[in-house]
Amino acid sequence: MDSGFQSQIHIIANSIPPLNSSAASLAILLSSSFNQTDEISFDEIETKVAPTLFLAVTTIPYLSQISYVGLEGLFFSYYIDGNQTLSTYANSSFSSRKKHVWYKQPVDNQTGKLYGEPVTSHSFNVVNTSWFQVALNHSWGYSSLENGWNNGGEPLFLTSVSLLGKGVIAMGVPVKRLTDRLGGIINLYGGSLSLITMDGKLLLNGIPNTKFIYANGTIFLQFLWPNGFKNFPCSNDTPETYKLDIDGKEYNVRCSTVEISGVQSVYALALSHEGMASFVYSKINYSHIALVVTMVFFVIPLVFFVSSMITNAQRETCLHDKLIKQMEATQQAERKSMNKSLALVGASHDIRAALAGITGFIDLCLANAAPGSDFEAYLKQMSLCAQDLLGLLNSILDTSKIEAGMMNLEEQEFNLADLIEHVVNLYHPVGMIKGVDVVLDPCDGSIIKLSQVKGDRGKLKQILSNILSNAVKFTVEGHVCVRAWVREHDFKPEKLASTRKGLGKYVSRLFSDKNEGNGDVKAESAVRQNRDSVEIVFEVDDTGKGIPKEKQKSVFENYVQVKETAAGQVGTGLGLGIVQSLVRLMGGEIGIVDKEFGEKGTCFRFNVFLTAFEIQGDAMYGGTNSSFAIRNYSPKLGICTPSPKLDGSQVVLFMQNIERRRVSQKFLERLGISVLVVDHCHHFPSALKKIQSKLNSLLNSSRRSDMSCRSDISSSSSKEMPLSAMEGTEHKLPFNRRKDTPSFILLVIDVNAESFSELWRIVAEFRRGLHSTCCKVIWLDKPTSPCIDPKRLDPDDEILLQPFHGSRLHRVIKLLPEFGNLSQGISSSSESSKHPYSKTRLRSTQRNDEIQEYVSSSDERYSKQGPSSPTLVHTRGRLKSKRKNEDSAESSNGEMPLFGKRILIAEDNKMLSILAIATATQLGADVEHCENGNEALERVCNGLKAQRNYDYVLMDCEMSPMNGYEATRRIRIEEERYGVRIPIIALTAHTSGTEALEAGMDAHLNKPLVANELMKVIESLQTKK
Amino acid sequence: MEVGQMQRRLVDYTKSLFMEGFLDAQFLQLQQLQDESNPDFVVEVVSLFFDDSEKLLNDLTMALDQPNVDFKKVDAHVHQLKGSSSSIGAQRVKNACIAFRSFCEEQNIDATLRCLQQVKQEYYLVKNKLETMLRLEQQIVAAGGSIPMIELGF
Repeated sequence: MDSGFQSQIHIIANSIPPLNSSAASLAILLSSSFNQTDEISFDEIETKVAPTLFLAVTTIPYLSQISYVGLEGLFFSYYIDGNQTLSTYANSSFSSRKKHVWYKQPVDNQTGKLYGEPVTSHSFNVVNTSWFQVALNHSWGYSSLENGWNNGGEPLFLTSVSLLGKGVIAMGVPVKRLTDRLGGIINLYGGSLSLITMDGKLLLNGIPNTKFIYANGTIFLQFLWPNGFKNFPCSNDTPETYKLDIDGKEYNVRCSTVEISGVQSVYALALSHEGMASFVYSKINYSHIALVVTMVFFVIPLVFFVSSMITNAQRETCLHDKLIKQMEATQQAERKSMNKSLALVGASHDIRAALAGITGFIDLCLANAAPGSDFEAYLKQMSLCAQDLLGLLNSILDTSKIEAGMMNLEEQEFNLADLIEHVVNLYHPVGMIKGVDVVLDPCDGSIIKLSQVKGDRGKLKQILSNILSNAVKFTVEGHVCVRAWVREHDFKPEKLASTRKGLGKYVSRLFSDKNEGNGDVKAESAVRQNRDSVEIVFEVDDTGKGIPKEKQKSVFENYVQVKETAAGQVGTGLGLGIVQSLVRLMGGEIGIVDKEFGEKGTCFRFNVFLTAFEIQGDAMYGGTNSSFAIRNYSPKLGICTPSPKLDGSQVVLFMQNIERRRVSQKFLERLGISVLVVDHCHHFPSALKKIQSKLNSLLNSSRRSDMSCRSDISSSSSKEMPLSAMEGTEHKLPFNRRKDTPSFILLVIDVNAESFSELWRIVAEFRRGLHSTCCKVIWLDKPTSPCIDPKRLDPDDEILLQPFHGSRLHRVIKLLPEFGNLSQGISSSSESSKHPYSKTRLRSTQRNDEIQEYVSSSDERYSKQGPSSPTLVHTRGRLKSKRKNEDSAESSNGEMPLFGKRILIAEDNKMLSILAIATATQLGADVEHCENGNEALERVCNGLKAQRNYDYVLMDCEMSPMNGYEATRRIRIEEERYGVRIPIIALTAHTSGTEALEAGMDAHLNKPLVANELMKVIESLQTKK
Repeated sequence: MEVGQMQRRLVDYTKSLFMEGFLDAQFLQLQQLQDESNPDFVVEVVSLFFDDSEKLLNDLTMALDQPNVDFKKVDAHVHQLKGSSSSIGAQRVKNACIAFRSFCEEQNIDATLRCLQQVKQEYYLVKNKLETMLRLEQQIVAAGGSIPMIELGF
């Protein structure tokens, strides 16, 4: 520390350079311009010395005063006082008569010229001073500390050098400059400094309570205490350190020598311990803070890093743990599943055997059943059920396949409406036994319009059956309603309300979708990509117990059952899981639709994507159906432009079940049919009466207007109707007739609602009240327990078995005149059939066409053109062309019409024989080959002997050694003994085959052999036979 | 060469053969007779045709070279040649044979010699064409492609 200060002091001291060299060189420079001997006059000084001096004072750093002093008292000096450069001079020597006076005059800072008025200044007797005397003898500069010329006489380090022994050049650097810098530095660190020249001139006294004492050429530092003083020698060459106590502070005082600008000096440096310490401490604080900050910056990321590492490690361990557990669980599950599958496979074998037995016996029964009887129908239904059961069994076995995403859709063309109806009808009897009505709601009729679709029929049926059976199973009262419609789309499937709510579930579904297996997803996308695909939405709505909200999600998981409802009901809980997988396989989604509060039951909704094939009404009938189509299309065209003859019909629905009533009514009304619904037996007669009265009033009015009445009608009608009412409506009826009054009344009566006899009575009464208006009654009967007495029925009435929906509903609609019924047709058909049941039961093929015909008519009449029809037309075109290809392919290589036939080919040309053999072989024949007539004869004879005749012989005519004609003749002779005639076909290169026929051959073919021609010939030979 | 390209080339080439009358519908029949059980049928028959025809042509040349031409023999040979060429569908050879035979009946030696030249020319032409086609087919098969069916309305 001390040495640091010392070196600093030395550096500062050295920064004021000794001016010896510059003074000396200045002197040499000046001396060159003077003669050795001559006196130097003031003029010379002014002209020669002064500019050099000015140059020196402006260029040499720190220089504040420069002067020339002549021996004789001539004097010239520049000095800097503040910012002003001044000049002092004495232009007279001591020896001159003039008074030796010093003048002071300002100097131009730029040029060094004097200006202004010279002012008399205080004069010094410089020549007599000791330094001058000494300097006069020095040619190498003499340094001393002297006072300057300026007003204050401030101390200067003066360096003087003799000029030719006649004068002295003196250059001065102010002491103050040095002391200022030193003091500034030392005070900065809380220390203090005193400085004295060796010859006892004090430069700086910074240390309090001390002073320098100069005695005998030695400098002492004297410390003054209140009670005395103490001297310390200070001028030693070696630095000395003393410890002192000043004002209660401990100081280290160090004395040392330093040369400043050539002047030897002594300094004493006092540094306070505390001052040093506090300085250090203050610095330490800073460094501490810096250190701490650095540490903090270092530690924070470290901590962060370490902690994150630890968390990661923990998480990883946790994951490992879970993974291991999961793997164990998975393995266990796999084992379980494996065992289960094996068990299932084992069981299925037995079940299959049993089922095969059942179907076999059903077939046996079917063979014996009277065709067209109920028995046969039931048997057929049974057979279907058994097959379905087999299919279901297979599906259950396929569950694992589904889960692995390996199940594929088996696409085939089918009638969707038929399928749905079939499934619904299947469960109708089941529901009927429980008192639950299973209703098919055609909704907007879009399904009927769609009709032919392509898709996996079996799986769709399975889905529907599964949901429907569940619905029927868990419904105790009320109804189960199946709705289906085509969604006009946008391909995006609607989000089903109950399955997906909020983002979280959506995301989870995403994941679950992934888990579901790629197969599903792929199939889904494939299904969606199809441009002809239609989205069909199904709803199965029941009025059963319902599924609690919280369980709705889990019902689609395998083996999950809603426990509360499980009592008394059996099932594996596999159903809905499979259903969901299947629905997803078809590109759809299944979910439970939220019901209104207070509504009972559950509503499952799912959608599937199928390929639409055609829209009904596009006139797709051809071939075998053409006659039927023509018959049906002609009335349809009549309907399109409503003829005045055909007025709106009135349909009266009297049904027990609310839902069925509602659905039927809605559907009929949608078709523009006026429907009157009767919900209770008590209202039935009154409702009928209302219609009757309306009709009769009309009838009366029309009778009056066009005078075409019948007397018996008027009498009966007047009995039924109050005259006043008739009068009241009379005047407006003719105008409204066409719109308001039905020309045809159709009563649809559910026999289960009331006893048949009672109903029959009501209807009979109603009939009596009617006159010319056509009235037809459809009796709806239970298939299980028919309670209708057919004998009592009117010949026009029909009996329909429940369920009254789908094709049966369509058939009833067709009875209406505006939907194609020609009353003659009905009456004739009803007369021709002896038993009403046989009439009501519709043959499946016929039913199909009827529905289609009916829909096509309703389509044109009531619905807009489907937006997708152009694409459908396109599809059909494609299909047609494809079929054509298939046909041609079939005819070219598929068939083998000569299968099992033995053919002998006699041909000597190797190439032609190969050709013939190949042709015949491709047609399925068993070909033998020989090279000439001899061989042919031999082979034929062998065949005759062995009773293995050739079916045909193909004989080349020109062969050697025996030609074909000869061989044929001989064969004819040979075979006569056996009483057979083998057809021999000549192969000739000649166009006419007369020679061949003369030789006894049956036909001839031009070479080369062509399959078609060969077949033609063979066919003609067969017909000849 | 890419398989598809080769297939296109084959189809084009075959079509040109039909268009220029080298081949007729009989060749299609031949191709239809080829199936899995008989995969090299066409090649077999065609090579048989080549052998047969070459032998017959040699015989014919020799027969016509004799100082006393046996026209019956010549006619029999031509008949055979006609049979084999028609069975393969080599239409132009067949037509040449027909002309040949009519000259045989006339016993016109100059004309028959001319006809022989013509038959030979036609034969070598069709041989060349057929060989090119079969080579192309083999290349396609070697490249892993299938031989495209040629559909022409006849």
